Amino acid sequence: MKKFNLVLFGLMAFSTLFLTACNSDDDNAPSVEETGEFANGVFILNEGGYGNGNSSLSFLSDAGVLQNNVYENINGELLGDTAQCLYADEDRLFIVLNGSGTIEVVDRYTLEKIGTVSTGLSNPRYFLIENGKGFVSNWGDPTNPADDFIAVIDLTSYSVTSTIPVVEGPERMVAENGKIYVAHSGGWNYGNQISVINASSLNVSAEIPVGDVPNSLEIANNKLYVLCGGIPAWTGNETLGEFQVIDIQSNATILSLDFPESQHPANLKISGNELFYTVDSDVFNMEANPNVLPEQSLFTADVVGGIYGFAVENNQIYIGDAVDYTSNGKIYLYDTSGNLVDNKTVGISPNGFLFNN
Amino acid sequence: MSTMKKKILILCILSGFRLTIAQSDTVMLNEVNLSDSHLLRFTETQTKTMLSDSVLQRNPASAVSLLNFNSLLYLKENGAGMVGSPSFRGTTASQTAIIWNGININSQFLGQTDFNTINTSAFDNLVIKPGGGSIGYGNGAIGGSIHLNNEIRFDKGFENNFSARYGSFNSYGFNLKSSYSNKNLSLNLAWGRTGSDNDYEILNTDRKNTNGQFYNNNLSIVTAYKFNARNILKLYGNIFDSKRHFALSGVNSLPSKYNDYNTRSMVEWNYNSGEWTSDLKLVYIGEEFRYFATLQTVDYDSGDADTWIARYDLGWKKKNFLFNAIFDYNYTEGIGSEIDDAHRQIASASLLWKHRINSKFLYQASIRKEFTDSYQAPFLYALGLKWDVARFYQIRINASKNFRMPTFNDLYWPGSGNLDLKSETSLQAELGHSFSFEDFSLDLLGYFNSVKDLIQWVPSGNLWTPQNIGKVRIYGIETQLNYSKKWENQGLELNASYGYTVSENKETGKQLIYVPFHKTTASVGYTFKRISAYYQFMSNGKVFTDTQNEYSLDAYSVSHLGLELSIGKNRSYKIGGQVLNLWNKDYQNVLNRPMPGRNYNVYINLKF
Repeated sequence: MKKFNLVLFGLMAFSTLFLTACNSDDDNAPSVEETGEFANGVFILNEGGYGNGNSSLSFLSDAGVLQNNVYENINGELLGDTAQCLYADEDRLFIVLNGSGTIEVVDRYTLEKIGTVSTGLSNPRYFLIENGKGFVSNWGDPTNPADDFIAVIDLTSYSVTSTIPVVEGPERMVAENGKIYVAHSGGWNYGNQISVINASSLNVSAEIPVGDVPNSLEIANNKLYVLCGGIPAWTGNETLGEFQVIDIQSNATILSLDFPESQHPANLKISGNELFYTVDSDVFNMEANPNVLPEQSLFTADVVGGIYGFAVENNQIYIGDAVDYTSNGKIYLYDTSGNLVDNKTVGISPNGFLFNN
Repeated sequence: MSTMKKKILILCILSGFRLTIAQSDTVMLNEVNLSDSHLLRFTETQTKTMLSDSVLQRNPASAVSLLNFNSLLYLKENGAGMVGSPSFRGTTASQTAIIWNGININSQFLGQTDFNTINTSAFDNLVIKPGGGSIGYGNGAIGGSIHLNNEIRFDKGFENNFSARYGSFNSYGFNLKSSYSNKNLSLNLAWGRTGSDNDYEILNTDRKNTNGQFYNNNLSIVTAYKFNARNILKLYGNIFDSKRHFALSGVNSLPSKYNDYNTRSMVEWNYNSGEWTSDLKLVYIGEEFRYFATLQTVDYDSGDADTWIARYDLGWKKKNFLFNAIFDYNYTEGIGSEIDDAHRQIASASLLWKHRINSKFLYQASIRKEFTDSYQAPFLYALGLKWDVARFYQIRINASKNFRMPTFNDLYWPGSGNLDLKSETSLQAELGHSFSFEDFSLDLLGYFNSVKDLIQWVPSGNLWTPQNIGKVRIYGIETQLNYSKKWENQGLELNASYGYTVSENKETGKQLIYVPFHKTTASVGYTFKRISAYYQFMSNGKVFTDTQNEYSLDAYSVSHLGLELSIGKNRSYKIGGQVLNLWNKDYQNVLNRPMPGRNYNVYINLKF
């Protein structure tokens, strides 16, 4: 009898443990399928709410299987606060956490944690690698226009080795031939320039004036494509959005097209010979060297909270919808004719995609 | 008044852990010593809980924790000492009215009051009144109201009280209250200062709470002069000055800080002929905040609002009838980094009627209309009745329509403000039962509340704008059980309360964020001669942190243990100590804002 009781007790204890584990999963997140290798699919970066420490990473396999909270599931810790940027080199993923002020480095295919850049950053925004070094745009104190910088990261020790002062509000970056092009959207103000940084000498080699609020940029065929959102209307100083093409040999602007009043474009992406961008919930496309801007959108995305994350890959358009910015967001996959192919519920405020193939 | 007296006695028992102390603190509140006459006249058909002076003095760390352990209010606190807002019965913090000596002091910018900017020891009592109260208190009295009261006493000579407290994380508090009164004059001065390094260890990590330090000063002056039996002039003043850093949410987050400077002044003239009462209040409320997004910056966000209020309350009493007319005029000017010299005028008129049919039965009815060009204001009404069914059993019924107006931020935020907003309105009803039997008392209450035109900020394009979009269905029950017994050398107090709250979005059926289904409080106090010991328990159920109810914070329970010794001939000196969060519970009240583990404090309290 005693023995039987012990067995029963053991079973009860086990089932309690088991149930507790299930419950805590249910409490904190949508259910998660089994984890596996993270090759062949797309990572979705979920920003979370500022100060809430609830950033997360999702993975959608090419077979269409979604896993949420993959960073947490693999590493047993929360990702951090306000995930801003996802970047990959050959075998690593770099995740910039703006609110935490850190960068998490994980294996690109297993997501196991490799290291953290935990000091030397201040209000970090975007990350890329050029000439074997990492570069991070930092706003510093957003009320101070004079303390913004690009941090240079050693990719073995994951520490900041030097900083390059730049003008206010360095945001997205692209690189080519040892040069880094930094778009100054302006932080808490409105910027209007591209800084060119020499990745070897680590100084600003040129400054290219562009339109107001350059919010996205692409580089291809020796050309830098810059999309400027313009200053929004509510400020009382509205300016027009602008699309610009810059020759990266001469840093000269070779094309500049104005958007109509009250259209403030964002999310410039290049795919093959085509450029894509968005205005509110509309997706536009045009050839890479247009004479005029398209009047008709390709399609209007059926989003609740506007287009947040945006990417184009293999003739598919990926859109992140932050819905109400506090609950789980959605992603939508459209084909280039604007037909909805798939949609999934991901983490909070999906702001970026990274294709892992 | 007899019901009020009984109520207050019960309330003191509720709040105090020593019956003897509680009783000696009990004062018969009336319209001479309390400025909030509406609270005395027209809230009999609702439930009230009073926290007396001795509880306020003993209150360990913050006003937020005081409410948390002594009521069914839900307190949302952004980490210890940070912004903390109370809400009643599944409503929001801006549907909670904070009333200072009869005057609504909710922020013009935020529509709510941060309870960590209230120094409760400056007040003589605090009354918690769940349920609608917009007829008497206007904006925001949907879920309920919290009343901060100074009492005016005559003929007491010199009275002084000094208390000092010191505890973990270098937390301290000092309070000095001095008063002098003779037959006609009453002078009261209170000064308080609290502060803390607030650098507690974050349990189960190797981190500390960083950049969470704060201190504040509060000065309060209350003066009254009785010209004759019918006329009293009263002057009230309160200055609160706070410097607070906001604790970091991440390892390298940018440190920020927030300064508050709030002033309140009031001149009041009471006339009372027995049959007629006349009460004129002229009030100025100054509200000032400075938000520094980073510690170094000189470029802060600011908001300054000046509010002038004139309120006239005319009462007529004959036999068992009471009739009141209240006229209220309110002018507010606001200016700030985001608000460009906004101003608004609101006038309102209320008519209230109470009829005590016999010793067992009374009912009341009231209406109110607002006049303003700033937003669409609703017509309000309320009905209540109270029936003493038997000596041990009372029934209370109350139904009312209440509102919450859009804030300055809702209306005037550049690019986002929406001038077409309506007020949020609430239609609610409650049914309360009170049983008392010898040393026991039991309260049971059920309520229903339908809120519409909830103001919510929603994304539209690249902007967020406030819209009247939410509809909320709220219902729940509240229960409260008290037992107190006194023997020759001993006393025993047991209190327990439990609230069940459903507050759901009518369209989605989802529970509103940060509304727990369950809240429980309990306490036991035992006194033997000069020693008293008490144990307080509070439990908050799970809350959702997103509108789809997919993310939640776990339920938690926290307990305090305290010991107090009374010394001196009249037991007027007290020395005590407390262990807070006795079981070292690791919990979060707001997402990513861990609260302190076990911590300690000691205090003295001297009356002389």
